[in-house]
Amino acid sequence: MKIVVIGAGEIGFHTAKILSQEKHDVIVVDSSAAQLERVNDALDVMTVEGSGSRLTTLRRAQVEQADVVIAVTSNDDVNFASCVLSHRLGAKRKFMRTNDADFFQDAEVTPQELGIDMAVSPERLAAKEIVRLIRRTAATDIVDFAEGRIQLIGIKLDQASPLINRKLRDVVKEYTEVPFRAVAISRGLRTVIPSADDVFKKGDQVFVISKTEMVPEMLKISGKESVKFENVMILGGTGIGQQVAEDLEEEVSVKLIESSKEASSRLADVLKKTMVIRGEGKDLDLLATEGIMDMDAYVAVTRDEEDNIISCLMAKHLGVKKAIAHVEKTDYIPLANTIGIDALVNKKLSAATEILKLVRKGEILSIATLHGVDAEMIEMVASPKSSVTKKPIRDLKFPDGGIIGCVIRKDEVIIPVGDTRILPDDRVVVLTLPRAIHEVEKFFH
Amino acid sequence: MRIRSVLSVLGFILVVVGLLMLCVLPISLSYDGEDAYALAVSGLLTVGVGAVGWYVNRKKSGELGAREGFMIVGLGWVVASLFGCLPFLITGAIPSFTDAYFEVVSGFTTTGATILTNVEALPEGLLFWRSLTQWIGGLGIILLSIAILPILGVGGMQLFQAEVPGISVEKLAPRISQTARILWMVYVLLTVVQMALLVGGGMTLFDAACHSFTTVSTGGFSTKNASIAHYQSSYIEQVIIVFMFLAGTSFALHYRALRGEWRSYVRDNEFTFYAVLVVLASLLVFLAIPFGERDELGKVVQAAVFQTVSILTTTGFVTADYELWFPAAQWILLMLMFAGACTGSTAGGIKLVRILVLLKNGINQLKMLIHPRAILPVRHNGKSLDQEIIIDILTFFILFVLIFIVASLAMTALGMDIVSSAGAVAASLGNIGPGLGSVGAVDNYAHVPMIGKWILVFCMLTGRLEIFTIIVLLTPAFWRR
Repeated sequence: MKIVVIGAGEIGFHTAKILSQEKHDVIVVDSSAAQLERVNDALDVMTVEGSGSRLTTLRRAQVEQADVVIAVTSNDDVNFASCVLSHRLGAKRKFMRTNDADFFQDAEVTPQELGIDMAVSPERLAAKEIVRLIRRTAATDIVDFAEGRIQLIGIKLDQASPLINRKLRDVVKEYTEVPFRAVAISRGLRTVIPSADDVFKKGDQVFVISKTEMVPEMLKISGKESVKFENVMILGGTGIGQQVAEDLEEEVSVKLIESSKEASSRLADVLKKTMVIRGEGKDLDLLATEGIMDMDAYVAVTRDEEDNIISCLMAKHLGVKKAIAHVEKTDYIPLANTIGIDALVNKKLSAATEILKLVRKGEILSIATLHGVDAEMIEMVASPKSSVTKKPIRDLKFPDGGIIGCVIRKDEVIIPVGDTRILPDDRVVVLTLPRAIHEVEKFFH
Repeated sequence: MRIRSVLSVLGFILVVVGLLMLCVLPISLSYDGEDAYALAVSGLLTVGVGAVGWYVNRKKSGELGAREGFMIVGLGWVVASLFGCLPFLITGAIPSFTDAYFEVVSGFTTTGATILTNVEALPEGLLFWRSLTQWIGGLGIILLSIAILPILGVGGMQLFQAEVPGISVEKLAPRISQTARILWMVYVLLTVVQMALLVGGGMTLFDAACHSFTTVSTGGFSTKNASIAHYQSSYIEQVIIVFMFLAGTSFALHYRALRGEWRSYVRDNEFTFYAVLVVLASLLVFLAIPFGERDELGKVVQAAVFQTVSILTTTGFVTADYELWFPAAQWILLMLMFAGACTGSTAGGIKLVRILVLLKNGINQLKMLIHPRAILPVRHNGKSLDQEIIIDILTFFILFVLIFIVASLAMTALGMDIVSSAGAVAASLGNIGPGLGSVGAVDNYAHVPMIGKWILVFCMLTGRLEIFTIIVLLTPAFWRR
């Protein structure tokens, strides 16, 4: 596909990187020559210097022939203008980033009427992700598949886990009543696709696919109890903080701490059930008074990423079961494991993930990117001619960077083993590293 | 340093070179085939060694950084030349290794300097391979590999930058492999058109192919001892003048023109400078040609234009012995050897854009003496250039001149006279071919002492890879962790 990415910031860089690794033709537009130099050094894409809201720039970027235009500059107006102009020039699909989640709120026209296929709000996506993580306190990641019948969960193995120092093969044998498939292990800064002989180590973040009803069992096996959560504390009345509070306040008791006077009074007005508290996140006394020790989850989403990390560490120290921090630098995300925070969330990465998902829609069925891991989940359909149906999984010579996670056959969900054979019309969930995505696709042609 | 990923790419490059060698086989067989055995053995050996190197290390090919890029390009050229001289050694056409290596490096770097005293004695297969080396080297061995092997995504860019001449790399398509393919398509198109025109002018298909290969690559190898003068055809000379000129123009501009943007030629500062320089230099050379009573005006003009374009584009074809001209003509030609043609073309030398920028910068510096506080940007194609680029160009220029000085000093130390030494080094460093004095228009490099030949080999490689790529390999900082 021909893809034009407007804006070479974090989101633009990340999407361009993944898309060019997937062998799409990518052209990156930005008005800053320095940003483009960074792109040119690291990625195999073409760059065009100029403002994305200018017709001449868009023409130079060959927007007329583009299958997808992704406008992700930090300026909503530029994004909007470039999408509308691209639509006029004949670009097929247009996605824009809106920093202001309410950009289209009161508009009389929908984005779709203007030719914009989807507006993506990074803050809203990050909030969604945080809520998803909180709902399953024992898991670091949760992704639904097959209308929610299957879930992919990320589990961090701590000291207490009985799985440590055991081979994957042996664990599978012992728990035959709980079918699961380990599809990836994030260890340090690396992501490995495990083989049967791999040994679990302390601190590993293991990604497992399992039937949804089996997930609590699965968590038990790995030494985690799925805890019901009732109390959540949010630090920072940013867009993300507000969104998380809105999403959760109906079910649980939410406390939101915000230091600025105006923001806190505004939030107190908007959020009907949340208790808004004005104060500093570093104020230990305040946190203690508000009962941080009894919190089931603690979310730090102020604008200062270091503050977020430190206050999460403090919360963990005080015994909060789950602490999630928002960070600005994507480079920090793999550190979550090392420093002992349950999850680090980055709104730009969430946005990039969402955009990638939208871009691939139609091509590949459904998709998700895992947190801090360079892997993708894709859903493929086997056709009668696909080579994947010719042999049992064990003999397929599936690429190193990919693994078959589960198979959906009509209404039945199968967690595969080596002998499993894929039949035509099966829907297959595959986890793959970006470099192997095309090799994986070949198996389904 | 990721040695194994370097080895894997090098292996692939050898496979490409070996396969091209095998392509010569049918041509050899369609003649008497006396060199067929040598070509087959060398081709298979090259493919074999390459395939093993590639296959054994293929899984290790991680991402290529700047270091690996320089390593691959530098070593790639050295190793490709090593295997490229096998056919000459096996047939015994060139018995000495030094001579064979010199000839093949001169081929790949599109220099066109030869140690052969009687080119016409070579069997057709070898003659064709000799011309083919120039054609491969013209756009670049590595560029060809990138065009074929698209997996070198980001790493490909590093290689591209290290091999393709120019101050900044211009992508013509989103992916580097597509850009490489576009450049090769333009290149093939030029070659085929020229071949057709030459055949139309009465050349045999074989000669037309060989000469087209060496024209569009600005190489200058001929299948005849007397070079283009052999044909005594005004038409053939005119065709070659046009194609030498086109080969000295940026291929990106040709691509734009093919897409209908004809005006991009005129809009390009470097091309305008190039065109003006060709006219001016031809005029000056014409004025410095002694005019005999029996000479026709038209022929003298054509000789002047041919020689000027041939030297400026660093091709090195010869239609007249310019050493019989007034010294001023020779001096102009020597200066043109340094200049070279446009960036992004197949020409060697310093390249006109650098000279243009240095001139503009010089003028600015003079203005600064009068207006010390003035901000005077150096503009190229309407955009002001970063100070970094100007320093880069200055460094390039200084290194180029420095290598010229040291290498010609070394040549004189070996006993060559000053004119020949300077001529030989300038002609090698600029990838021209014929120099001055004892290595002039109608002479060859056979008599140069062995050490001298190796010095010139070094000059040819450094010149082709635009100085930095080779020199950086010789710096201790490159090898430190």
